[in-house]
Amino acid sequence: MSADFKATDRAPGAHGSGFSGVLLEAGVVALVGVALAFLANAVSPRGLALGQDYFPRANRGPRAAVTVTNVEQVTAVTPSTGGAEGDPVAARLAEQNLVMADLARTLELFRDPRFGQGKIVFVDARNDELYQAGHIPGAYQLDYYRAANYLGQVLPACLTAERVLVYCIGRECEDSEFAAILLRQAGVANEKLLVYPEGFTEWSARQLPVATGPQRGMPEVTP
Amino acid sequence: MNGTRPQGCCAVAAWLGLGGRWFVGGLLIYMGLVKGLDPVGFLKLVRQYELVQTPWLLNALAATLPWFEVFCGALLFAGVAVRGAALSLLAMLAPFTVLVLKRALEIQAAAALPFCSVKFDCGCGMGEVYICHKLAENLLLIVFAAWLVTGQGRQWAARYRLFQ
Repeated sequence: MSADFKATDRAPGAHGSGFSGVLLEAGVVALVGVALAFLANAVSPRGLALGQDYFPRANRGPRAAVTVTNVEQVTAVTPSTGGAEGDPVAARLAEQNLVMADLARTLELFRDPRFGQGKIVFVDARNDELYQAGHIPGAYQLDYYRAANYLGQVLPACLTAERVLVYCIGRECEDSEFAAILLRQAGVANEKLLVYPEGFTEWSARQLPVATGPQRGMPEVTP
Repeated sequence: MNGTRPQGCCAVAAWLGLGGRWFVGGLLIYMGLVKGLDPVGFLKLVRQYELVQTPWLLNALAATLPWFEVFCGALLFAGVAVRGAALSLLAMLAPFTVLVLKRALEIQAAAALPFCSVKFDCGCGMGEVYICHKLAENLLLIVFAAWLVTGQGRQWAARYRLFQ
């Protein structure tokens, strides 16, 4: 084996010679690379849906038609995590017309007998790996970015429920908020929806019950 | 693969070119695969740069960049269209490095941290990294890619020039 130093690399008139040749080569690399990249995304089971808006914003699309008038819901806006002022998460949820639930409210719903009856539904907006590693017992999974795979099971439960609480990892994770918007767009009434922004991080840190594996693992109903 | 055996400093440059090509090619393949196999994670990281607001454009960037990186890495590793692949890499790396720097400055300003203490996931495929390490790494890659564009890295190249 030896290095290949060809004098013809810079011979005038040679196809692809000099810097224009490098540019041409780079152009071909870019075209073929981008085409292959789109193909890889299309065939990958984890590929992104190019036309989908994964990050819905308040200023795009219709705002929720339902306004919060229910006293129970108003009290669900957590004082412990602060109001919208100074708390970016609270501000974001308020902008999306979504109601925030703190740990106390989440626990209250979790211990409510209606939880076991399917009248209160918890939705975990994280991916398979995180859900299976541990989730709130009884929570349905709705991986927001693969929603089509889960909506068939989750949506009927949410439509018939009286309360739907959505959570994800916690704080910086916006997926619970996006999943709540998705459910709202799919027909779940806004007044039913609650977002638990501290999410599974807080839940597991408090050593509260956790179910593992792909099954929901309904908790035992406690009186 | 034929030609005159390089002597002295040319031999060092030739082997340096080969080693560097394999290292950079391997690194690009690894980092591209990490991102390509978790496109949602990468999409969220690309979004933090607020490059584009149009959803399909953001999705297209996040969906294609990792695989394009793998493609360029494979070309460099195998020694195919080396200068073209290196120039493409340069065209990706230079603006990306500026974006990473800009983002780090924003984080520094928000958190009031010393610059080199800023640590975040820049979407490079290596998880959270210290900004000074990342900038040094990117500058090294930029210099090496520019060096390849000038005609280095022919040693054991399967097809150094695409158009013979």
